[in-house]
Amino acid sequence: MTTLPAHKMLLDTTHEDPTRRAPLVLGDHDFGSVTETVCRIVERPKPPRAWYVAFAVSVSLTGVLVGLILYLFVTGVGVWGVNNPVGWGWAIVNFVFWVGIGHAGTLISAILFLFRQKWRTGINRFAEAMTIFAVICAGVWPGIHVGRAWLAYWLAPYPNQMQVWPNFRSPLVWDAVAVGTYFLVSLMFWYMGMIPDLATIRDRAVTRIRQMVYGLLALGWRGSNRQWLRYERAYLLLAALATPLVLSVHSVVSFDFAVAQLPGWHTTIFPPYFVAGAIFSGFAMVMTLAIPARQFFGLKDIITMRHLENIAKIILVTGSMVGYGYGLEFFIAWYSGNSYESFAFLNRALGPYAWAYWIMVTCNVAVPQLFWFRKCRTNVWVLLGACILVNVGMWFERFVIVVSSLSSDFLPSSWGYFSPTAVDIMMLVGSFGLFFTLFLLFLRYIPMVAMAEVKSVMPQALMEGTGHRPLGDYWGDMPHPEQRHKAVDAEARS
Amino acid sequence: MQGSRPFVFPRWTNSLRTLIAAVVIVGVLYAALVVAYGASPQTTDVGYQPEQPVTYSHAKHAGELGIDCRYCHTTVEQAAHAAIPPTQTCMNCHTNITIGNSEKLTPVRESNASGMPIEWVRVHDLPDYVYFNHSAHVRRGVGCASCHGRVDKMELVHQVEPLSMGWCLDCHRRPERHLRPVKEVFNMGYTTANQLVDGRRLKELYNINPSTDCSTCHR
Amino acid sequence: MPPVSGPATGKTYWRSLDELADTPEFRKFVESEFPNFAPELLASPSRRRFLKLMGASLAMAGLTGCRWPKETIAPHGSRPEGRTPGESVQYATAMELGGSAVGLLITSYDGRPIKVEGNPGHPISRGATNAFAQASVLELYDPDRSKGVMQRQGDQTFYRSWDQFAAYARRHFDALRADGGKRLCVLSESSSSPSLADMRERFGRAFPAAKWWEYEPISRDNERLGSVRAFGQAWRTHYALDRADVIVSLDADLLMDHPAAIGHARDWAVGRDVDEQGQRRGTERAMNRLYVVESAHSVTGSMADHRLAVASRRVEAVALHLASCLIERGVAVPSVGNALSRSSRPVEADFVEALAEDLLAHRGRCVVAVGPRQGAAVHALAHALNAALGAVGTTVSYTEEIEPDRPTHAEAITTLSTDMRDGEVDTLLILGGNPVFDAPADLEFGQGLDAVKTVIHLSLFPNETSQRCTWRLSRAHYLESWGDVRAYDGTISVVQPLIEPLYDGKTPIEVLALVIGDQPAKGYDVVRRTLQASSGGADFDTRWRRALHDGIVPGSAWPTAEPPLKRGGWAAELAERVRGGTAEAGQVELVFTPDSHVYDGRFANSGWLQEMPDPLTKLTWDNAAIIAPVDAERMGLRRGDMVRLEAAGQTLEMPVTVLPGQAEGSVTVSLGYGRTAAGRVGNGTGFDAYRLRTVAAMEVVTGVTLTSTGRRTMLAVTQDHHAIDSRVGRRERDKRLGMLYREADLEEYRRHPDFAQHAVHHLPLVSMWREHEYEGHRWGMTVDLNKCTGCSACVVACQAENNIAVVGKEEVDRGREMHWIRIDRYFRGQPGAPQVAHQPVACHHCANAPCEQVCPVAATVHSSEGLNDMVYNRCIGTRYCANNCPYKVRRFNWFNNHKDLTETEKMAFNPEVTVRARGVMEKCTFCVQRINAVKIDAKNEARPIADGEITPACAQACPTQAIVFGELNDAESRVARLQADRRAYAMLGELNVKPRTQYLAKLRNPAQPEVALPGLPKATHTEQTDTEHS
Repeated sequence: MTTLPAHKMLLDTTHEDPTRRAPLVLGDHDFGSVTETVCRIVERPKPPRAWYVAFAVSVSLTGVLVGLILYLFVTGVGVWGVNNPVGWGWAIVNFVFWVGIGHAGTLISAILFLFRQKWRTGINRFAEAMTIFAVICAGVWPGIHVGRAWLAYWLAPYPNQMQVWPNFRSPLVWDAVAVGTYFLVSLMFWYMGMIPDLATIRDRAVTRIRQMVYGLLALGWRGSNRQWLRYERAYLLLAALATPLVLSVHSVVSFDFAVAQLPGWHTTIFPPYFVAGAIFSGFAMVMTLAIPARQFFGLKDIITMRHLENIAKIILVTGSMVGYGYGLEFFIAWYSGNSYESFAFLNRALGPYAWAYWIMVTCNVAVPQLFWFRKCRTNVWVLLGACILVNVGMWFERFVIVVSSLSSDFLPSSWGYFSPTAVDIMMLVGSFGLFFTLFLLFLRYIPMVAMAEVKSVMPQALMEGTGHRPLGDYWGDMPHPEQRHKAVDAEARS
Repeated sequence: MQGSRPFVFPRWTNSLRTLIAAVVIVGVLYAALVVAYGASPQTTDVGYQPEQPVTYSHAKHAGELGIDCRYCHTTVEQAAHAAIPPTQTCMNCHTNITIGNSEKLTPVRESNASGMPIEWVRVHDLPDYVYFNHSAHVRRGVGCASCHGRVDKMELVHQVEPLSMGWCLDCHRRPERHLRPVKEVFNMGYTTANQLVDGRRLKELYNINPSTDCSTCHR
Repeated sequence: MPPVSGPATGKTYWRSLDELADTPEFRKFVESEFPNFAPELLASPSRRRFLKLMGASLAMAGLTGCRWPKETIAPHGSRPEGRTPGESVQYATAMELGGSAVGLLITSYDGRPIKVEGNPGHPISRGATNAFAQASVLELYDPDRSKGVMQRQGDQTFYRSWDQFAAYARRHFDALRADGGKRLCVLSESSSSPSLADMRERFGRAFPAAKWWEYEPISRDNERLGSVRAFGQAWRTHYALDRADVIVSLDADLLMDHPAAIGHARDWAVGRDVDEQGQRRGTERAMNRLYVVESAHSVTGSMADHRLAVASRRVEAVALHLASCLIERGVAVPSVGNALSRSSRPVEADFVEALAEDLLAHRGRCVVAVGPRQGAAVHALAHALNAALGAVGTTVSYTEEIEPDRPTHAEAITTLSTDMRDGEVDTLLILGGNPVFDAPADLEFGQGLDAVKTVIHLSLFPNETSQRCTWRLSRAHYLESWGDVRAYDGTISVVQPLIEPLYDGKTPIEVLALVIGDQPAKGYDVVRRTLQASSGGADFDTRWRRALHDGIVPGSAWPTAEPPLKRGGWAAELAERVRGGTAEAGQVELVFTPDSHVYDGRFANSGWLQEMPDPLTKLTWDNAAIIAPVDAERMGLRRGDMVRLEAAGQTLEMPVTVLPGQAEGSVTVSLGYGRTAAGRVGNGTGFDAYRLRTVAAMEVVTGVTLTSTGRRTMLAVTQDHHAIDSRVGRRERDKRLGMLYREADLEEYRRHPDFAQHAVHHLPLVSMWREHEYEGHRWGMTVDLNKCTGCSACVVACQAENNIAVVGKEEVDRGREMHWIRIDRYFRGQPGAPQVAHQPVACHHCANAPCEQVCPVAATVHSSEGLNDMVYNRCIGTRYCANNCPYKVRRFNWFNNHKDLTETEKMAFNPEVTVRARGVMEKCTFCVQRINAVKIDAKNEARPIADGEITPACAQACPTQAIVFGELNDAESRVARLQADRRAYAMLGELNVKPRTQYLAKLRNPAQPEVALPGLPKATHTEQTDTEHS
């Protein structure tokens, strides 16, 4: 039988060799070095200049967002481009967009965890972080888009002197509940998984403050067997709890539209189609963040090309699902024989918003097809470019759904066109500012890789037969150091 | 100082955990309670008793002298508003009668002389978006006292009911608790042995089925 | 007294008020109107609390604790008799426009007039109104109105008191008596007021040599001249459209632009109210048929069964051709005889032939009406035709004219300005009007005015004219005045004040009295005197009071007559002109029309009217040059393109708008826009068409050149925004029209009376929710599309009744207009000769309402009486309801729309309706405040509610009574019977929203055999579309 030259096997984890499995961590890492690599990022006194630049930019954009929200509150939602008939504009588009982004994290942590997808360990930590922050960004919008934000608490069912309750038939009420739950569970799940690593940081901390802060956050974790046992059980339970939420939250968000009777909204395909789209955009965003992160913080060994490739594959699949959704919408519109429905979609493709529609199709359906080719799956530049396009495309998907359907519905007399104002645009930019501010803080103060979990999938996890036994059995090859040196030399010579 | 023994909080901090937890929970509950109670009309509005330009005593006029409500609040049976009487009405009697401390009457006399109104301070003040119609109630057996209390016992009028939406709805949903014979509407002292029985009978009799539609009060 | 410069604008309003506050007059009015409160009232930020308040008024004090602001109640010192605080009262009065009146009932709350309704007893109004009358309330409270008396000395303007003016007048005019007032002139608007006429006589006696001129920019003088030519004397023509089966309008907008338009509309609608046999309800008579020949697409034209679009100057040719066709058919057209030859054969031959046939078939049951823009000869011809067709005495009648032998308005203004320029005028007294703005451009009236030493201007607003006058007297609004006016048929109405003059104004009568030092000087006494003189002495007081109560003086209408036609040269002359007319064929003509928003410019400062979409163009806040689609295509113009118009040496740049049905080679421009001193609202809106108007061509200018400037400007329209105007969209619109607006030819209706039910087919509808049940009331509405003319009176009436905000041009352009009822306007067929559909759409109060299901806070819910309640104070403004409303009738408060209102403007609010805050949704409530008012009264009186007792504002204002509201649970009610009619259909019913408003399908009555109109599709339900909605 022919085996690959060692160096190939070593350096190219994306190569599938049925006889053996590729390691998930490259380089001659042992537990200590992994800890070192990850913790160094958090412990170094000064982050790279790039971090400061990025942070300065995002903070100022966040400032813009906050300022504009205040302006909105004192003036009225008329500062946006929304009008009659287009009563929902970018605020809702951005909301759905961010909620969608907020999908990948919990999906990776929970569902992949349950499916024993061990490669998730490299990326789940900051995928989850991304989720939390994305949901925060999403949460901004529904609150401020209502005409009288200071009364938004009426959405909550609580006994009051008016003896009035919310209307439980309204999807908006379901929405508030769904997103809220999702946020809380994701937060718990994220924090839960972080405890051991926080403890690690605490133990390595040199200054008193860091010791106390991380000490508090670590909730007195000592890594005892008993704690590990509880920890893993709890983790499993939370994963099981989070999994249905991943599906529920965006299904419920899609009800906001599906339950309305507007042509282009009123369709049963929305829940699955929204969820697929969410995972799609979520992973795209993970990729967009992972590539620079592993670049800047030297995590290539832990977030390997194999990780990226796997993500690319998922993007390809979900992207195709979304494309299928687009196609099916047209089919149903025609098949239903409902003239309003069929016009709604004809109008999307050929009407005043055709430009947005075709941007959406190109970015979401055409671009991911690149990932059929391994060359594209394994080239960071292609990956990065494609994923950014996918994010753009998914924003436009929401725009097309929300705006084009509203702009021309039943009575031609009332058709109208939506054009965004400067406030619309700056607030969208601002929300990205908020997102990256949070994310950069995360990179700075929290280990961005789940060290404990990564270690559990390293060969050494079994080799030292002692200590706690990770989830599942040992797998993956550990190349012998000498072999590796030979290989490198061979590389050099050839 | 790498390698030193890892930092842990001393054991005694464990005892704090329960304490902190307790404080947080109790604190939250307490805050919620304070807000809920403090903001309720029961607290904010009931008992509201502003200073009036004239220390007019309903207790004396409606109570002791037993003047009918409608002598002054003439429009109550025809109109939405139970209009505050014009100065004229006071002077009908007070031109001749000048018992009691006459300083009290000075503003009234001035108003009567100049034709300028007396600025009474509104006690029962509903929000602008609430449209209440007196005639619709007093003509169907809702007594003055049901909403305004025993005005005939008040030296200075104050608010006795919360006048909150829930309070309105309570009566609109179960009118039998407050209905009285139409002829007793202006009788402050009206009581009945068994309100519920009478109430149900009157509800049938007057065919009272109060609407709880929003547009009944909000337009 | 310190000077204030220029006309008091909103900015200087408070300042000038402070100064006014020093004058005793002002203090007087304040005290009489708001006992002791005006200062607080006018300064306090309080909104409609002030209005809702019972006694008299209210002032706000600071916050007390966490309670809302303390309210004080200020009862009257002694309450006026019969006044119930907080209850509305109605008074009868009348509003005059262009020299003839409409009788009105004004609703007044605590002494504040807030709503105008038609006077059912009045021969013209008959309970209905038009948009102008509806908006007059806002005009009354307009803070930009002229205030008190102002005198200009040099370049400074001073506030003066009326006493000061009186003193001045005494000196000044006594001096003029010496030579009988040789160098004294009066310029007045045309007025039908007997009292004013009387005062004019007295003035004439005081100043025998003085000249009195009368000028109206929108004049109907051609009608007078026509009758003079036909009968040798001026007669006023009246049409009884209800008696007519065939109505021919030659450039006449009978249903919209006519002193008796409201009455005409009602009569015309009688002939459109058909039963299932296609006959007028309860009669054997057929539905009437309307022919319109016109250049601009008028409201009447949009109702035509056959409309011929020809340039205005070609109309006379058509008329002439019609006459000769009739003569050919053996009709003896008196005084025309054989003057006509058939040398010039108009292109519209077949149309006219068929029309002639139709007229012959309906002798004695037809009308030929000619519009004010057509020359005297055409009018004369129409008189002859009506006589020949036996119309006179049945459908056409004549009465005397006011001042039969006055010069025409054009002559009057011309002579006056020549005199002024020649320095023959020292003192000019202008009673109302705005000649500097609206006199023909070539007269340069303004410069003439500067040559006059003393100019005294009595005016409602400090307008372009006032600025050039020495004395500015503020005129009392008709709601503040005593007066008397005549309706078009001569019926006298007494004008009684609803409120003390807000801005210290006087009426023309009072000013004249003051000028000639006549007694009595009070309007009240003068009016009584006149009426007493005219209608005898005995028991006058009773009749006076009855007149005040009824709003009309019974039996004061002029007697009708049948004047004999006298032979005149006009026929030959007309024929001559028509033959010559072919010379200018191919030239572009420019036609001036009154504007649907501002009339002749006088309403320019009314936000309500400015924002009311034009019935045809749907244009707001602007006027534009209306051009035909073919012309637009040829010149590559589209809506909003700026063009340069050159006519008779004058030029004007303005935007164009393209209107299907506009005659080729004809440009229509409405007058009255482009004001510079209208006030905060009207300034800088639109473009001043008067600059193109010359004495020679007051109505139609030929030989106009129209060149594109390549620039564009924004025009705020409420329909057909260009941005969404894609090809798919247009195709879909045409496809849907047959489902939304269902119509058929009369013939076809006779064959399938239920065609409206078959315009849409769908699967059986099943509701997800349990259906509502209604024990008590179940309110419903029908709109008869066969009657709706699109006149838009309902739009403004609704705005007035429901405190609907005005948002301004930019917001309208963004699609944020707030109207609760809108009139959808569609065209079908060829752009050259389209059919028009007017469809009023307000909230349909669906029994299965999509909005109710999606509101998260239950701010819009279903009432037990089938109303779709909108609870403003519960609304948090998610706008989900508006998204889910298939009719798109919900309106959102994007901003605080009432922020900038002055206290006086707030006085126009209806205290029975909440003024909506920023961030809440609003929509038509079926006027729930009126429903509840009637319900409570009925209950208090222990009686059932009578059918028709509850009338929403829109239905009340509707001249044709196209809108009917009532009780659906009572099978005998009008609305229930109409909804049972086979023409009734629910728009978008296939969505299973179960709308409570239903439409009665439109019927068209083309001549049989069909008159060939270029490319007119037969209006059938050929676009029958099967659709279903899950």
